[in-house]
Amino acid sequence: MSTTTAPRVRPAGYSVVRAGRAAFLLHRRAAVVAVSLVVLLAAACLACLCVGESFIAPAEVVRVITGRPSPDELVVGTLRAPRMVVGLLVGAAFGVAGALIQTVARNPLASPDIIGVSQGASALTVGAMTFGVTSYAVLPYLSVLGGLLAALLVYAFAWRGGLHATRFVLIGIGFAIALRSVTTLFMTKGDYLVAQQAQIWMTGSLNGRGWAEAAPLGWTFLILVPFVAWAARAQRTVSMDDDTATALGVRLGRVRLGLVLLGVVLASVATGAAGPVDFVALLAPQIARRVTRTAQIPLLCSALLGAFIVVVADLLARRLFSPTELPVGVLTAAVGAPYLIWLIVRSRTGGNR
Amino acid sequence: MTRLSTSALTLAYEDRTVVHDLDLAVPDGRVTVIVGPNACGKSTTLRALGRLLKPRRGSVLLDGEALTRLPTKKIAQQIGLLPQTPVAPEAITVADLVARGRQPHQHWWQQWSDADERAVTEAMERTDVAALADRSVDELSGGQRQRVWIAMALAQETELLLLDEPTTYLDIAHQVEVLDLVRQLNHDKDRTVVLVLHDLNQAARYADHLVAMKSGRIVAEGPPAEVVTADLVREVFGLDCVVVPDPVTGSPLIVPGAPWQAGARSGAASDSLSRKAAS
Repeated sequence: MSTTTAPRVRPAGYSVVRAGRAAFLLHRRAAVVAVSLVVLLAAACLACLCVGESFIAPAEVVRVITGRPSPDELVVGTLRAPRMVVGLLVGAAFGVAGALIQTVARNPLASPDIIGVSQGASALTVGAMTFGVTSYAVLPYLSVLGGLLAALLVYAFAWRGGLHATRFVLIGIGFAIALRSVTTLFMTKGDYLVAQQAQIWMTGSLNGRGWAEAAPLGWTFLILVPFVAWAARAQRTVSMDDDTATALGVRLGRVRLGLVLLGVVLASVATGAAGPVDFVALLAPQIARRVTRTAQIPLLCSALLGAFIVVVADLLARRLFSPTELPVGVLTAAVGAPYLIWLIVRSRTGGNR
Repeated sequence: MTRLSTSALTLAYEDRTVVHDLDLAVPDGRVTVIVGPNACGKSTTLRALGRLLKPRRGSVLLDGEALTRLPTKKIAQQIGLLPQTPVAPEAITVADLVARGRQPHQHWWQQWSDADERAVTEAMERTDVAALADRSVDELSGGQRQRVWIAMALAQETELLLLDEPTTYLDIAHQVEVLDLVRQLNHDKDRTVVLVLHDLNQAARYADHLVAMKSGRIVAEGPPAEVVTADLVREVFGLDCVVVPDPVTGSPLIVPGAPWQAGARSGAASDSLSRKAAS
């Protein structure tokens, strides 16, 4: 029973990082995965800038990025770079949003594109488009509003003295379907050209996204970074059952609301910029968790993986059937849909969780 | 002395009142066990003692202050609680789960300290799960898992510890093991423990202070030797029994009657009577 003989115990797989009086727990495997993802992501970004209708040598691309004069300034700096940056930001936002909402609902199915957040954003945006609002200065805000409203509705209907995960997901799916039909209604009633524009936006497309879209997106995420840092820690406790979490001194109601709100804002902002790029928010956190083997979904890795998926998917979408460009959402859906089916099949037949 | 008490505590789920005007003082440094038939409000009372359930009326007091007025993190530094069926995050390791008991002592910028390390190590040794540190909680047996959860509650290092039916789903050997651990803890560390138990014999054996509840009210409380009588068991559980001293501890042991034997005998008697009457 003496404490001196036995080796000291630490949460397995974690290292303690000290900085003055502060001390942080770092999941070693997650850190390694994050570093690897950064490398992969950098490679994907470089490929994204090099490959296109005309191939530009990596050396030339690096010249442009570092700000030195280059003949390819226009193609790389003005056409490809902003599109890639929007892809990066959107992917990262979806990754984190999915991680947060899945954590709170304790269900891998509960990602913003399944439970109605993306559909709410779509419905309001497409609605506004059909009424003649086409300015990208206004549409993203409407998306955010739509996403928040949809989330609020789902939350209100799912809340019955507590948040029951399965009810939350099922009601969310119900709202997603309802909102999708609202969107379709707007599109059939609207002008032909508007409908076509809305259709492209709705599949999620990075085509024609420039610095005008990238800048506000970047600022929003910069502002949200401290909140995401808070969420990374808060997630730890929310992953327990309600009673245990409360017994450990967690203000569960507030923490959950904070996490969901953050997730919904991120997903809505991203949807506003690129349309609902399907399944990224569903896929990225689950893959990240399986690779890192952490007990909760790792936020940083989810963000990196989300960004990686979108950048690679966009690259493929541009080149696969060139000169025809596919919207990036088509590709993410092609990967995501089978995964979703697999998730559902497994949860029916497999373990009890 | 008593740090944790209730005053005129009324608890309800929606419109169904489960506990009525309960006055209970948990004696410090003792093991208190709450017993009673199903749906008597014992678990509900424990949940309220650990602020998992808000009182409809009345209050739960910690050092004279209502729990509802204390920050939940402050409460968590004083009261540890293990719910009946806690759920661990998927694929979490034993050491990681036990370490989460340190949550109320940590801050965002202080996620691990020497005190944390010492508390976790000690809790895991005491519950004999140190060898399982790197294992995943999912793959443990029921008894091991329960010990891990208790280790988590111990790592919280609270003076008060509330356990809601910690022996459910365990076989008899593991039940005894868990209860022995609780007694040991109370003995070595002077911890105040409140348990909800199903088994009256175990309650009588392990309690210093026994609280018998029925229909949301306390029927009797005190040392088991004084409280547990055949009359009380009939009143609370509606069971006829004989109370004998436990051959090992001397605490009261309930031996239920055998009405089926009595019934068989009286049946046979009336049978022979009717036969006589017929002849």
